[in-house]
Amino acid sequence: MDLGFIADIVPEILEGLPTTIGLFLWSMLLSTVGGLLLALARMSAVGALRWFAVAYGWLIRGIPLLLIMFYVFFALPEFSRTFLLSPFWTAVAALSLWTAAYQAEAIRSGILAVDNGQYEAAEALGMTRAHYMRRIVLPQSVRIIVPPFMGNAINTLKQTSLATVITVPEMALITTRIISREFNALEPLLALAIIYLALTTLLVFGQAGLERAFRLKV
Amino acid sequence: MAPLVRVQGLKKSFGDLQILNGIDLDVEPSEVVSIIGPSGSGKTTILRCINLLERADGGRIEVDGQVLCDEGPDGGIRFASKRDIRKIREEVGMVFQRFNLFPHMTALENVIEGPIAVKGMDKGAATERAHELLASVGLSHRADHYPLQMSGGQQQRVAIARALAMEPRLMLFDEVTSAVDPELAGEILLVMKHLAEQGMTMIVVTHEMGFAADVSDRVLFIDHGLVVEEGRASQVLGAPAEERTKAFLRAVLERAPMAEEGDDPDQLNEEPTWSSDPLAAEEAARDSAELARLRNEVAELRQQLFRSGTTRSEG
Repeated sequence: MDLGFIADIVPEILEGLPTTIGLFLWSMLLSTVGGLLLALARMSAVGALRWFAVAYGWLIRGIPLLLIMFYVFFALPEFSRTFLLSPFWTAVAALSLWTAAYQAEAIRSGILAVDNGQYEAAEALGMTRAHYMRRIVLPQSVRIIVPPFMGNAINTLKQTSLATVITVPEMALITTRIISREFNALEPLLALAIIYLALTTLLVFGQAGLERAFRLKV
Repeated sequence: MAPLVRVQGLKKSFGDLQILNGIDLDVEPSEVVSIIGPSGSGKTTILRCINLLERADGGRIEVDGQVLCDEGPDGGIRFASKRDIRKIREEVGMVFQRFNLFPHMTALENVIEGPIAVKGMDKGAATERAHELLASVGLSHRADHYPLQMSGGQQQRVAIARALAMEPRLMLFDEVTSAVDPELAGEILLVMKHLAEQGMTMIVVTHEMGFAADVSDRVLFIDHGLVVEEGRASQVLGAPAEERTKAFLRAVLERAPMAEEGDDPDQLNEEPTWSSDPLAAEEAARDSAELARLRNEVAELRQQLFRSGTTRSEG
């Protein structure tokens, strides 16, 4: 193994880091909003919304992310050219659709963890449902949501590497280019693994920090 | 004076199960009404219908002149608007069997949340009032504690303070001592007794016969969703007219078994045969004698608590 070679290629791989982080942050933002809406739909009084949320989770969690990515990239534009997105936004769309299904379950578990008695107490005090969600449910469910939510985030960060297959120039794509240029896989793959590990480690620390911040004081 | 609460022909069923079969109940201002009855008789459901936590299927409920629900000419039930329901709930405080405090808030925060959010009170005034209320339930020293740091009795007293912070005209108590250790029930009952003495209108669903006898103006015995017997506490509890009331009181006061629907009453009246082992039987007898002694002691203590009236042991 050639450490000098690793030192040479790490900066080149890191040229893909902004793209990787861009994919990750956009997907997290969109999937969190989507996941929250799905979780609320799943608990809605409207049957059609509940049905949609269940069907969505079943479908998205039941097929590979790679397939979703291909579908958004190749198949959707066949229906209408409005779905013709750049590779980057295709990957963001696929990652968001996919992550949202998992975040919905994380968020739903947090909301369900707040027992119904508190809802009744809030009702009996005359609080509105919005106030109840914001002041009573949110602070309590956040700390329950954090671990599964961050687990999903770590998964999504790693899965940004799948964007390689639709030619998004993130770190994994750059690495495969280095491999084919240098006829050498060992060092580039090792370097890439170390960078992903560093990023996921940051998320693990982030999770610990969030858990501390939202800990129930007793 | 017009009654503060007027319930007429209240009906409620859950699926095929008819819980309330037409309940009539008037409560005058400052009156304390206790509702007693066997488990599943519908007493809790009455309270929940009055606060619209449960939607009645039939009948009419009026609180302080405002109609919560009423039957239309077609026989269907109509409810007040969401806004009116919230307004009525501001005037009706409810205390639950399982306290239902907000666990991420301190005692003080639990008490001020309602007045600030619903009444638009400013935080300073709400906090000042909350301290007074916590003092009145004997918990000034617990204002900054979280629910999980408090005993069941203390949590329930915070819950009472929280309900009182809304300045309600009516308080509903739903088996508020059932989920706390027996030795802590007295402190909750004492707070309720003070409240009654201050003229609060109260509807109390309870298994505490001592409290019902001591504090309430009127007692309703409910069974199978109907008012079986109603009258002054001394009459219903002391000299019940109905067989069903007598059986219930026997079951509660002497822990005598009471036949439920479908049970064979003869079987229940047989001597219990827990064990054929003579040694174990002897031990069981000792245990039950011990239990009876303890129960008497607790009952006496509770009586003393009531007699001591205005002084409170915990400050």
